[in-house]
This record gives sequence, C-alpha cells and structure tokens, in this order.
Amino acid sequence: MRKRAVAASVLASLGILTVGWQIGAATAAPAISTSGGTAVGKTAASSAASGPAAAPAPTASAPAAATGSGLKDGTFTGASADTPFGSVQVAITISGGKITAVKALKLTDQGGRSVQISNYAAPILRQEVLASQSTNVNNVNGATYTTDGYLTSVQSALDQAKA
Amino acid sequence: MTSAQAYRTPLPSRDVRTPRIDRRRQYARRARMSDLLVTLLWASGAAAVALYLASGGMNAWNSPAGVITGLGIIAGLIGSDFVLVMLVLAARVPVIDRTIGHDRAVATHRRLGKPALYLLLGHGALLLIGYGMSTGINPISEIGPMLALPDMPLAFVGTGLFIVVVVTSLVAVRRKFSYEGWHLVHLLSYFAVIFALPHQFSDSGMLAVSTWQRVYWIALYVLALVAIVFHRFLKPIISTFRHRITVVGTETISPGVVSIHLRGENLRQLGSEGGQFLIWRFWTGKTWYHSHPISLSAMPSDSRARITVRELGAGSSRISAIPAGTPVSIEGPYGIFSDVARTAPRLAIVAAGIGVTPVRALLENARIVPGEATILLRAGNTDETYLWDELGEIAAAKGATLFKSIGHRSRGRCGWLAEKDARRGVTLQSIFPKLMQSDLYLCGPSSWLAAVEAEARALGIPEHQIHAERFDW
Repeated sequence: MRKRAVAASVLASLGILTVGWQIGAATAAPAISTSGGTAVGKTAASSAASGPAAAPAPTASAPAAATGSGLKDGTFTGASADTPFGSVQVAITISGGKITAVKALKLTDQGGRSVQISNYAAPILRQEVLASQSTNVNNVNGATYTTDGYLTSVQSALDQAKA
Repeated sequence: MTSAQAYRTPLPSRDVRTPRIDRRRQYARRARMSDLLVTLLWASGAAAVALYLASGGMNAWNSPAGVITGLGIIAGLIGSDFVLVMLVLAARVPVIDRTIGHDRAVATHRRLGKPALYLLLGHGALLLIGYGMSTGINPISEIGPMLALPDMPLAFVGTGLFIVVVVTSLVAVRRKFSYEGWHLVHLLSYFAVIFALPHQFSDSGMLAVSTWQRVYWIALYVLALVAIVFHRFLKPIISTFRHRITVVGTETISPGVVSIHLRGENLRQLGSEGGQFLIWRFWTGKTWYHSHPISLSAMPSDSRARITVRELGAGSSRISAIPAGTPVSIEGPYGIFSDVARTAPRLAIVAAGIGVTPVRALLENARIVPGEATILLRAGNTDETYLWDELGEIAAAKGATLFKSIGHRSRGRCGWLAEKDARRGVTLQSIFPKLMQSDLYLCGPSSWLAAVEAEARALGIPEHQIHAERFDW
C-alpha cells in the first residue's frame, strides 16, 4: 500500500474518531447528572429481583432525612420521561412524610433488549429510591437511559408531593 | 531468441523520449483515486465507531460489563462496515475496476473476509458476556434470553451463514469445489447480510429511530445494495440484450485452442480497452451454467468480436463444440490489463502460452509511438505460438520490437525463459534494457508469471510498473 494512502487513512480515521469522541463527551456530561459515585454491585442486582410492581414498604430502613420533609401523604404520579428507548413513568406513595412505595407505570420498552433491561433495572431503582428517600441514587449499569427516565419521573412526583 | 537485437547496445538515454501521452500524469491521477478509495475504506470503519462515540456510547463504559458490551458493539459496527465494503468490492463498480483493477478488488475483498467474520463472532461473544455480566448470568445461559428477542434468531442464522461462506472460501477448502458450486455457496452471503439486518435496527439501540447512526447505516446499506443490484445484475442483463451477441463459429487454431468468432450489435459501445476481459456464458443446454472470464483476442468491430480459449477446465472443453447461432450473455468488460494502467514512458510485454490473447488486443489498442514497446513471446513448442503471426504484424505496424523464445523451460537461472536462451545469457535486463522506465505487462500461467515478477523485482522495478492480471478465481 502506498505511503500517502496510509497517511491519509490514518489522519482521516483519527480525525473522524476525534470528532465523534468529542461530540460524545459533550453530550455525556449532562446525561448522568444524578448518579453519585460507585456502581451498583451485582449482589444488589440479584437480591432485589422481585419485579417492577409496587410492594409493601420497608418500614425501618428510611433515614431521618426524609421525616419532616414536608411531603404530603398520598399517591403521586410523576411526569412521563422520554428516553430513546421509550418513555418511563412512575407513581410514588407517600405515607408519614416518607416514600413508602414506587410503582412503575411505564418502562422503557422500545428496542428488543429494553424490556429485559427494564425488568432487571426497575427493582434496583425502586429499592434504591426507597432506601435513600431521594433521587440521589446510583446509575444502574447497562440501564443508563432507564435510570435517567425513572429518576426524572420520581423527582417530578416528589415535586408534586412537596407542593 | 530469434533476434540478435537482444544484445544491441543500449540507446543513449536522451533517445527515450516521453511520448505524446504523459503516462506519469495519467498514473498520478489513478494513484490519487486509489489513495482516495483506500482512505474511504478506513474512514468508513472509523465513522462507524465515531458515530457510536458521538451518540454517547462511552457513557455505558462505567463497569467491566459496560466496557465488554461496548467493545462488542464496536466489533459489530466495524464488522458490518467490512461486510458492506466487501459487497461494494465484489460489485464490479466501474470506478473501482478502472482504478485498482478487477483482480485487486477481488483480492482486497478476499483479505477482508476473515477479519470481518472474526469481528462479527467477537461481536456476538462479547455481547453475550457483557449482557450476562450485567444481569449476573453466564454467557451460555444468556443465549436463551437473547434468542427470545425479536430478530435475534435470524441474526444467529446469519452468523452461521457467514461462517459457511468464509470457510468455503479458504483456499484449501475452495479447491474441493467447482467454481459453480463454490459460487452457489458464496451467494449465501447475501442471505447472511439480509438475516443480520433486522436485529441491527430493532434490537440494538445504536440504530434507534431518528439518530445519525441510523441515517448513516441506512445510507451505507442502500449504497452497497444499489451497487450490487445495478452493476452485478442489471448492467449485464442490459448489455446482453443491447448487444445481442451470438456465436458465428469456432476455429481451431492449434490443438486444444479455439478462437470463437462472435457477432453482435454496436460492439464498439462496449467500450472495451484492448486487454480487458468479459465474463461469457454460452446458452446451450450443456454450457449455460458455466461462466468463463475470457479476454478479447482482438479489438471488436461494431458487429464482430473474437475470443481465443484453451481447453482447460470441464467447462472450457465444451465450449469448443458450441454450435453457430448460440446466444451469448456477457458481463464486463473488466480489468485494467490495458492502456489505462500505464505509468511509465516505455512498454515491456511478456506473454506465455494462451496468455498471448489479451496481449494481442492490448497491443492492437495501445497508443504507442514507434520504439516505445518491446514484446517477448514465450512458448514451449511451435504448436503453442497462438496468434503470434498476428502479433508480429501489429508489432511491425506499430514499430514495436518483438522477441520470441521457444522451447523447454530453463531449469536454472531465468526459469521463465526457454533453456537455450537462458543458457546464451539472455535475461530480462538484456531483453528490456530500459525496464526501469517501462510498464511491464505479464500474462501467462501463475508460476511462470511469478518467476518473471521475481526477476523484475530483483532488478528494482517499482511495484506500480508491474501489471499482471490473474484469472484464477
């Protein structure tokens, strides 16, 4: 192969890759704004695999931060959050100023693997939200869009509960 | 050697005048286009990865599972890109054919086959591992849930077809097939591409609706498809019906060698350059399923054309018995064993056996000035001097120097020459003293051809000045 062809190929490829990488880096920054650090362990994933439906609330585990938070009791439906894999919408139940239940009304379902991803991510997210009593929870690996949509919808429901 | 001119003293170098046509500029243009094509090949792979990066693919690289999944996706993207490039290379697109030639396009196509397969297999394996890790199950168990996804069973079948196609194309395996059998299996690659297509758009979020990636990939697929359908299928059909070629008759010019005379309409509009070949199919009950890549052995007139064949394969021996009036379908003309490939001011031609046929048309069509071309013809015995008399006439008319070397091949030095000539001290250098300023055109049996090439390279001829078209599939 001629030197000029090699040089041109390398330069063009590097240029194209750099542009792609930069655009990706620019869009990456706001995408994972809520995640707070280390990844969710696999143990959490396997221990919480109960399904996306609402379950009786864990009572004692909530931290003190949530009490007296000004949340009204009741069930609040969050706004539907759009993702590239379909919209996500959840409803939360507040009892005694605490989030006692998170119910997924609609999860990411576009693209064949989305349902699979939703099914394993939703229980983790529900448990994390109940445990932290906030949307300040870790991103679920491999389910970034689902996490974002889920937390956006939870936050919107929390905002209604505060109002 | 029948001519003592092989030993004449070299002309002073100032006599080697650049002819009217500036071969170097002609070559520079072709080289630029060739470099552009190579750059496009690699850039298309880079673009596939870049679009993945631009869509924030790296966001998922925050865990081992995410990294493995990401690498799997990239492997799939580059693999798909290679497959599409291979389709375009096999499509006989005129700009590619005229730039690098049919044989190099096919060689590149072949070289990409195994890497493409490895990338696609890696794609599947890495995704199974990555998905398995993220859901906490092993990669083998992950196959079940994967197959449950829409379009995934098809993708698995497609992968199986790719494996079959690549394995049957390995040199050792391919030898066991007839060309037709191998080609039939090779057609499965179209199905492999089609089967793999749906999962790329439905399952992978990569090509989700309204993303640039989707636009880019659809464009690539359409491009490859149009190239194949138009150049491989429509154009041959159109030109077959346009030129309506039929056999006029066959003429045995030597034991085992026949010239087939053909009649057709507007044959000059085929646009064939001397030295190019077409792929012929003779529509009789016994021969229609064989296609033959055969060079024109003379420049066609508007209504007549001629090819010359030696009976080698099972198919070739039947075509000598083709009755007059047999309809003929054509693909082509293809190849740059012609004036198009010239790069240097002088022309050196070496042809052996039946390899003389494209040379006959090449020389007839060559735009050369007297003294520019030197030709060496090689034959094992006087029966194999096919078309040599015609070549002699053309050479005389065009002012080209013609040398002949007849006899058993030399066992020692210069194994491509006749023994008696090699013993007299004749070498490539002595026949073509200006070899370094020459385009060297070679046509003949593969091993013979390799011997000439080796000697030319040893003399230091630049690679781009060697033109050898191989017809082996």
